[in-house]
Amino acid sequence: MLNFNPPIEEEKKYNDLKIVEVEPTIKINLRSNKREFSTKIGKILSILPPNEANTSSGNESYSLLWLSPDEWLVYSNNNTKSLNDQIELENNLFNEISKLNQGAVTNVSDHWVMINLKGSKIFDLLAKSCPFNFKNFKKKGSVVQTVVNHVDVIIHNKDDNDLNLFVRRSFSEDLWLWINDSARFL
Amino acid sequence: MFIINCPYCGERDQTEFSCGGEAHIERPKQPTELSDDQWAEYLFMRKNIKGIQFERWNHAHGCRKWFNMVRDTSNDKIQAVYKMGEKPPVK
Repeated sequence: MLNFNPPIEEEKKYNDLKIVEVEPTIKINLRSNKREFSTKIGKILSILPPNEANTSSGNESYSLLWLSPDEWLVYSNNNTKSLNDQIELENNLFNEISKLNQGAVTNVSDHWVMINLKGSKIFDLLAKSCPFNFKNFKKKGSVVQTVVNHVDVIIHNKDDNDLNLFVRRSFSEDLWLWINDSARFL
Repeated sequence: MFIINCPYCGERDQTEFSCGGEAHIERPKQPTELSDDQWAEYLFMRKNIKGIQFERWNHAHGCRKWFNMVRDTSNDKIQAVYKMGEKPPVK
């Protein structure tokens, strides 16, 4: 079910930097290497899963992130979605994909916590403790899975100076504290 | 520290990867027919050479896919990176 007890519930503002946890967000993990998978996803979500590495696709309601050659993450773009929306989407995907042995559908809404970072200094902040080279990442829609301060994250470049960062729930508080601590020294 | 070119994600820092040891070690087809020495040879004995070594690597903090790498252990120079199941591009 959708988690209505978010772990952070804070919003912080610094110079040229705004950090906020965005919940509740529907997040569903998709895995498949079957040929019909793309068309089925296209039918349900009206988005085709990206085949190119480190990219994403999306429409007004959902974003679809490339995670590996046979794995994608879909998440809702607005946090107004209700529990019923999630159940409906999950059931739709499950009936069309998992039940017909076309792949795997896993609800990871409670697994990942989404933190939104906005501002011109977001890349300076992440570069403080991330081995990834963000020079090639400025393109809109880019996706990367890497580590920030030794914590596994998925980063989605939503717009110019607007990132969505996914972190595992149990690590979210630790990363949140680190982000806030580092943001003070930017 | 060195940069590894993941065959799926592109160039990433070595800290995102974990090494899975020597590559291309074939599991014996009939393990029950092997002597203890032969089984131990398969299970534990690795070349561990100074020079060109064939290794398995996992992009643990990225796409979580396994791949093979040809690496010079004396200077960490990566000669080639190729996907699982493919033949090594260098000898």
